[in-house]
Amino acid sequence: MKVTRIAKVAIATAAAAGLAVGTLSPANAATRSTVVLVTSNQLTGLNPSVSNMNLTFNSEVAYMQGFGFNYYDNSPKLVDNKIFGSYKIVSQKPFKVQYTVNKGKVWSDGTPINAVDLLLSHVIASSSYSFTAKLGDPTDNEVAPAFNSLSYGGVYDEHHVGLPELSKDKMSLTIEYDAKIPDWQIYGPGPSPVHTLVLMAEGKKSLQSVKANIAARDKFEKAFYSYNTKLMTAAGKIWSNDYNINTVNDSTNPLLLVGNGGYILKTAVPGQAVTLVLNPKHKSNPSGPATNGIKTVVFRIIGDGTAAAQALRNQEVDIYQGQPTADSVNLLKAIPTAKVIGGDQAVYEHIDLRVDNAAGSTDNYTGPFKGMDQRAVDLRTAFLTAYPRDEIVDKLIKPINEKAVRMDSLLVFPSEPGYADVIKNSGVSKYTQGSQAEREARALALVKKYYPNASATNPGFTVKLNWGTPSNARRAASAQLVKAALGRAGINVDAPGSATWSRNLASNAFDAFFFAWVKSSVTQQGNANLFCSDCGNNYLGYQNKVVDAANTKLGAVLLSPKAKLAEYLKIEKELMKDAVSLPIFQHPGVTAVNAKLQNVKPNPLSPQLVWNYWEWKYSK
Amino acid sequence: MLAYVMRRLGALVVILFGSSFLLYNLSAYSTDPLADLRLSDAPNKEQLILTLTRELRLDLPPALRYFIWLRGVLGVFVGNPNFGLTRENEPVIDAITGAIPTTVRLVLVATFVAIVLGIALGITSALRQYTRFDYGMTFFAFLLFSLPIFWVAVLLKQYLAIDFNDFLVTAKITPGWIVGLSAAAGFFWAAIISGTRKRVTLIFIGVFVANSIFLSIISATEWLAYPRLGPIAIAVLGVGIAYGVTYLSMGLSDKNALKTTLLMVAVGTVSYFPAQAVLDSNRPRLGMLVLFLILLAVSVGGAYIFARIDRGPIIRTSIITSTLIGVLILIDKMMQAWRPFIESDDVNYRPVATIGQSTIWLTEVPFWVRVLDFAMHLILPTIALTLISFAGYIRFSRGTLLDVLNQDYIRTARAKGLTERTVIMRHAFRNTMIPLTTIMVGDIAGIVGGAIITERVFGWQGMGTLFNKAINSFDLNLLMGVILFLSTLAILANLIADLLYSVLDPRIRVGAGK
Amino acid sequence: MARNRKEVEIVNEANENAIANKETEGLSQGQIVFRRFIRHRAAMISVIFLFSLIAIVYTSLDWRLGNKEKPFVIPGWWKYHFEDMPELRYADCPGGTVGCPTIDAVPFFDGDGMSLGEHPFGQDDIGRDYLSLVMRGAQRSILVMFIIGIIAATLGTVIGAISGYFRGWVDGVLMRLVDFIITVPVIIIGSVIGFHYGNKGAAFLALLLGIFSWTGLSRLVRGEFLTLREREFVDAARVAGAGNRRIIFKHILPNAVGVIIVSVTLLMSGAILTETALSYLGFGVVAPDVSLGLLISTYQDAFTTRPWLFWYPGLFIIAIALCINFIGDGLRDAFDPRQRRRLSRKDKANARKLESRAEVA
Repeated sequence: MKVTRIAKVAIATAAAAGLAVGTLSPANAATRSTVVLVTSNQLTGLNPSVSNMNLTFNSEVAYMQGFGFNYYDNSPKLVDNKIFGSYKIVSQKPFKVQYTVNKGKVWSDGTPINAVDLLLSHVIASSSYSFTAKLGDPTDNEVAPAFNSLSYGGVYDEHHVGLPELSKDKMSLTIEYDAKIPDWQIYGPGPSPVHTLVLMAEGKKSLQSVKANIAARDKFEKAFYSYNTKLMTAAGKIWSNDYNINTVNDSTNPLLLVGNGGYILKTAVPGQAVTLVLNPKHKSNPSGPATNGIKTVVFRIIGDGTAAAQALRNQEVDIYQGQPTADSVNLLKAIPTAKVIGGDQAVYEHIDLRVDNAAGSTDNYTGPFKGMDQRAVDLRTAFLTAYPRDEIVDKLIKPINEKAVRMDSLLVFPSEPGYADVIKNSGVSKYTQGSQAEREARALALVKKYYPNASATNPGFTVKLNWGTPSNARRAASAQLVKAALGRAGINVDAPGSATWSRNLASNAFDAFFFAWVKSSVTQQGNANLFCSDCGNNYLGYQNKVVDAANTKLGAVLLSPKAKLAEYLKIEKELMKDAVSLPIFQHPGVTAVNAKLQNVKPNPLSPQLVWNYWEWKYSK
Repeated sequence: MLAYVMRRLGALVVILFGSSFLLYNLSAYSTDPLADLRLSDAPNKEQLILTLTRELRLDLPPALRYFIWLRGVLGVFVGNPNFGLTRENEPVIDAITGAIPTTVRLVLVATFVAIVLGIALGITSALRQYTRFDYGMTFFAFLLFSLPIFWVAVLLKQYLAIDFNDFLVTAKITPGWIVGLSAAAGFFWAAIISGTRKRVTLIFIGVFVANSIFLSIISATEWLAYPRLGPIAIAVLGVGIAYGVTYLSMGLSDKNALKTTLLMVAVGTVSYFPAQAVLDSNRPRLGMLVLFLILLAVSVGGAYIFARIDRGPIIRTSIITSTLIGVLILIDKMMQAWRPFIESDDVNYRPVATIGQSTIWLTEVPFWVRVLDFAMHLILPTIALTLISFAGYIRFSRGTLLDVLNQDYIRTARAKGLTERTVIMRHAFRNTMIPLTTIMVGDIAGIVGGAIITERVFGWQGMGTLFNKAINSFDLNLLMGVILFLSTLAILANLIADLLYSVLDPRIRVGAGK
Repeated sequence: MARNRKEVEIVNEANENAIANKETEGLSQGQIVFRRFIRHRAAMISVIFLFSLIAIVYTSLDWRLGNKEKPFVIPGWWKYHFEDMPELRYADCPGGTVGCPTIDAVPFFDGDGMSLGEHPFGQDDIGRDYLSLVMRGAQRSILVMFIIGIIAATLGTVIGAISGYFRGWVDGVLMRLVDFIITVPVIIIGSVIGFHYGNKGAAFLALLLGIFSWTGLSRLVRGEFLTLREREFVDAARVAGAGNRRIIFKHILPNAVGVIIVSVTLLMSGAILTETALSYLGFGVVAPDVSLGLLISTYQDAFTTRPWLFWYPGLFIIAIALCINFIGDGLRDAFDPRQRRRLSRKDKANARKLESRAEVA
């Protein structure tokens, strides 16, 4: 046996020596043409406007395939896309806006884009159109309408008047509203390749000639204005169902993949990756037809943060964005081939206190915070005053984002204009004055008013805190800090973690809640509707007429920035006075990028990273 | 026997009904599909909640929903099963059939490697009971067994992927590594072979020197950056394989066996040249099949020519040899695809992948580049799964072999004057395999559903991922589909294990005993 | 030549058998097992190590019994409790990290002696003393491990033995029970209980896991029994009039014990990892309680930046698992009725002495 082995080794050695000596020289690495992004989500459908398909990742993929009149940059500010077209107010009373598509823009199948392609936006957002064309009742509880859209019941639905009007040359569309609604720019129409809907409704499975496409579009225009139930229903079925696929490959109907964005979908493998390739006919996105040499954009689905960071280290991926921990940030910073971009997400952690029965609950809330009498307000104030917000930020957030600050306004982020004014006047100072120890002492004094024997070792009353699932290490650590700090203020905190915490949000068994709200868009109303009396997200049983009035005003009339802040301030003052809720911190976001890839600018709002994909490029 | 199998299959249906009913209701009562919507700030939240309630039939009690689900599933008996849709509107059956190949690829390779390595090390360890090698192996096995998989994964990615890829840029092995690796190899072989102190020292020095030379040449020729085998190396390695396989199965004293296997090496080496053309054709899979069929035919024929007695075992030996040589030819083929693979823009000189099943966007590439891509993605998860699962095999095979070696029939076999090789390989090893087989069957069934964390950290979309996703997204249809599949597999595995028992050990009668 | 050597070996073997037999003359089965076990060096070291570890771990923290506000305290040897929250130490840590360990294990060479310092294992994110967390984690993990081991070993052995020995409908029923249990994922049961009754703590979790993890063992034992019951010695025992219970426990079980012990020890060391996986998914031991698995999975990112958060719980897991497995190894060898120990020269000499003495007497 020994002889065999030694012989084997010796001969293999000799053979290896004789092989391939200097047959090839290392090739020069050319500039990369592929960008690989990490996402933790799955692609579930190509049409994010369908009910149940409105997931961030679906929207990101859709964003890269189509481009309309405007987009949010990373400030976040709404930017007009002058390359694609323009829009302007043509009449103040009645309030009319005209949208014009520039000439020479084409879909990826070569069909020129015109204003007929904007009409679908009306179909999927107007309940009245759905009624008139007999496409179904969007509010029906049993049957979904032909266009199973999630835009019904939105701002556009409530405020538009009549049908949009096409101009003679069919390059412009005019829409009338019943008033100058706030944020009217973001409710405007976007282009959709309506000819593909018609072709698919006719059973086509492949791309057609430009002529056939234009004929199909004319059919759509006619059907739209004549309320043709048959064609519109057929198109609606396609629109609502056929795009809901998570696999894309060579056998996918290419009509589903027609777009006007910089990239078009090539393949999607569930749980693995979504690949987009450069749209050779792209002219509509803000760069026009120019490219930076990036031919392929890949979204790689990786659920595990550590795994994603290591994939970045191994240069398998180029952009990683995730929910970081202090250690993972240090890990990312140690990668020599990547740069780390810190930042905030449009998500903020906050502490809420129950004031009265949760909406829809059948039992009665009887905890210490019930009601608006002096005692309840004092106890709530004590709780919020002693809440260790500084400690949480210092110990749990600053290691991730050195620039993190404690948040003091519920409606305005620290980076937004007006933040300083709001916190100066909102009355939040009673929760921020002094050191943590002084605040705890103040809180204890308040507690002692009602529980004279209360002390750091002998709590006056118990608060049940709902905080999330125990596997969330950051929340678990927060809960420990809260328990310790409030204990020193004479309040015992019972903080059981639970995997089903979200169901407990509407439970009267809990007195306090900390979790996070996402600000998903920059509207005038913002998240003021979290506190209005009977609103869906008001779990606290909080009712306040001043807040309600301000909220209604913010939702209905377009206000100047100054007037908007004044309304915010009104709401904040009430919330601080009544001791209902306090913000804690903005969730830190970390993006790590291949050091050679330039112009990646994280955006806190959807479509997050890809908002400026046309600017990405590799340095040499 | 047939009646017994039918009875077991009947029981399977009853069990599946009971457990699915129980699990469906338990899961329905303990999940909150509306959780995400509760946290939504959409203005039409009420509407969204209503829609979801309608879609998932949340207005009905779970028991009733179970029977709606069951009605679809029972369609399996009329050829039209309906396992429902996932929350993402994908048919559950599609999701599962999509995940099975992935899991099988992951689990099969890892389990195979774990079994082969585990049994080999376990047997060596048993034969060297209470030596340093035995203690070392025990320690090593338990150490690996005690490591959490996600940590193993992190370390493997760091050292075998990231650092190794960095190393491949130059592919120069530093002297320190050469000495270290050679010393490790020397210690390993010296510990296994053991004997007198002089012998051990000689073995150590021999292995150390051979290894150092070997590694130096590898380093100097940048072989790792430009790997090739070529016909010469295949011939040389083939001779080694021929001797090794013959030694283990027949003993080198059997000249007929040796001749047959050496013939196979010659045939394999010669067939290297036509094989290139066949494998490069646009039907490479067919080419592989043809290649193996030819090797198979020649090995059977060769055995007939050379062997007059003992034909069966010699045919077996020569088939094993020719299969291994065929594998060498395929490895060479993959090595030829190495440079195009790593130089492509998508791989970008990082061949060992840490994540995913393949570089999917690598389109329109030659077959062998694609195969190589799959292989490079398989390496790390396979090593991770192997490392944590082969400890069990080491322990079980060591324990079982020790039991067997103390049996009277082994003593008898030795007393008859049989060589130690024959005693171990023919008498002891086979009896060791009986309990091991049943463990393996159970393990393979168990590991299919048990790779949740492995799949997660390596970004694979297999059954484990589906299961985890179903639990986290409160997707009852998907959850039930996965559970149904895994349960059936586990119960069938038990049935197969029971049948194997009676096949391997004729004394056992499982169905009997009334 | 080779044949000659073989003969010599066989002769030696016979001698050794005689020596070994001599040694165990007049001892009960239990005593023989015990003696063999004591002689297994690795197992004995592991026993001593494991017991000291358990003693150290369970006496480290204060035991706070009774109601939460005014507990009855049995003081432990370590100053912090895992619920205490001392100040987070920011100073003197490498690479801008916080809460690094203060242990100084280098004697003399670095100028000062060995010392523990304020937080020998460091502190976690929010300043909790990591030594106390690791101690608490080890307490929980050891508890979980033993409960699972005991339940699974008992259920698995008894059910497997009965099933394999009696066969027929008993086997049918019990094995279908096994089939049923393997179709029920523990995670689902765990989440159902967690959902409706909140977290019930580590002991309850272990109980639950134990109830679901005996199936593999029972099939293994059943397999062994199916083989062994056909052996001659079982027939012999039956002919000699032994009852079923006696045959099962006195005759067959000792022969199956090797496989059982290997399996149970693997199961027990695996139990720590199972608990880790469950904690990772939120169904195991959960915050504010800690287990070693929870600590490791929480700080898996820390392995390069704050390695102490990862290594200390990791070392405890490995140490416990290794001890358990080596003890299992020793037990297996000790129970094996055919196992012979390698005799040292001293043993042989002693045996010869014994022999001569016996002759003299």
